[in-house]
Amino acid sequence: MQYWFGDINPDGSCVPVKGEIKEFAAHYRDTDFDMDNFVPLSPEDAVNCGAVKDQDEYLEKLRLLCIALAEEKIRAHYTKGDIELVQMVRMLDEMDHVINLLIERATEWYLVLNPKFSRKYKSVSAKQMVAIIRREKTSLGRLGYEIDRMSSERTRLMKEISSRTDIIAPNCSALVGGLVAARLISKAGSLAQMSRMPASAIQVLGAESALFTHLKGNTPSPKHGIIFQHRRVHNSKAKVRGRVSRVLGGKLAIAAKLDYFRGELVPEFIDPAQKRIDYVFSLGEENKK
Amino acid sequence: MIIIDGVLVSKGQGGVYGEKMMKGYRVWSPNRSKFAALAMIRPGTDLNPDLKVLYLGAANGTTVSHFADYVNCVYAVEFAPRPMQDLIEVSRRRTNIIPIMADAGNPREYAPFVESVDMVYQDVAQPNQAEIAIMNLPFLKKGGILILMLKTRSVDVTVSPKTVFLDTLKELEESGLEIEDACWLEPYHHDHACIICRKNS
Repeated sequence: MQYWFGDINPDGSCVPVKGEIKEFAAHYRDTDFDMDNFVPLSPEDAVNCGAVKDQDEYLEKLRLLCIALAEEKIRAHYTKGDIELVQMVRMLDEMDHVINLLIERATEWYLVLNPKFSRKYKSVSAKQMVAIIRREKTSLGRLGYEIDRMSSERTRLMKEISSRTDIIAPNCSALVGGLVAARLISKAGSLAQMSRMPASAIQVLGAESALFTHLKGNTPSPKHGIIFQHRRVHNSKAKVRGRVSRVLGGKLAIAAKLDYFRGELVPEFIDPAQKRIDYVFSLGEENKK
Repeated sequence: MIIIDGVLVSKGQGGVYGEKMMKGYRVWSPNRSKFAALAMIRPGTDLNPDLKVLYLGAANGTTVSHFADYVNCVYAVEFAPRPMQDLIEVSRRRTNIIPIMADAGNPREYAPFVESVDMVYQDVAQPNQAEIAIMNLPFLKKGGILILMLKTRSVDVTVSPKTVFLDTLKELEESGLEIEDACWLEPYHHDHACIICRKNS
């Protein structure tokens, strides 16, 4: 019978594990336990076996071993792909929100210091505005510097999310790009949950409030949620936009299932899917002529 | 059990989860903990310093920390990673808690760690609660007791709690356990029942 501190042979002899927690953990991973003829261990066995000195050491060693094993399992669980990704996407959205607020506030402050300044008749983007604010010699200038740094950190985070999603969800990423795919996964909760969603749900993911007002009353139904951020949706002509969204939602539902159950890029699916989406997109262009 | 002015308490270092202190003791609220509720409803309930306990469904380790104040040692089994992080933190300060990250429905995962115990305490939100308890009986000493906190709503929401309760009693009895006591945890926890069984064979 194998226990955490060593193996007890049928003849009663015992082989203790030698070493520290690491060796004990390795031994546990190798055990193959059979519940049918289970004999609960007792601390005396471990003492007799020579694995520990006394009961106190028994409990102490066992506790440290269990903590180490549990921490390992927690780590393995969290690094299982999309759990960290979801947190990263939520952080990105939160950063967007915070950075915009800070720029708005800093601009108001800048206007007070520079009564002659006005944004009228010249288009000053948020980025340029930060550059102007940074020139201030007061604490406002230093804050501008911090906002700038945060923006570049945001860009870095965005790139990381995108490249990670390419690995975790290669098919979804191929269809809509890493960032949009990551946002969809985040909104769905996880890749597992997204893979179980119907196409129509993926299509309007992120447009919940519009969907529920539609279901309650007589507003038109939402055509797109997060997938609107994808270029083939927002660049399409209004006449075919709903159609592009529907087709894309359908293909994404298949892609999510492929990503979750196979986890690799499937060109036999992606190539015709891309063609189909491009075709529906091009219908709008022709109508314009 | 230590009861001061009608309030259940335990002796130990406080501040585990923001619990109130009273004359140097940690208040063990029956509204939060099902075991505390049981102790209020059945004044005979007792925990003593010789007990070894297998605790299934340890969650964040709040009830576990009170158990640890009373008994010899607690083998605390929990499956979900988030509460496990908290449970590990509790076991760093309370050295008689062995935190085990495993599925209570799969005892072979943690069988190499657990010695035979005097009490199995189960508080899991699974539909097959009675089955899980029976699976864990090999760890229980002869004459030891099983305390099952039955979450009837987790078994089946469409069936009335009373039916679930009676079905579970039957299932436990058929497995050879002797039912010593069974009660509802009203008014502290709704639709929760407590079943206490003894293992005779």
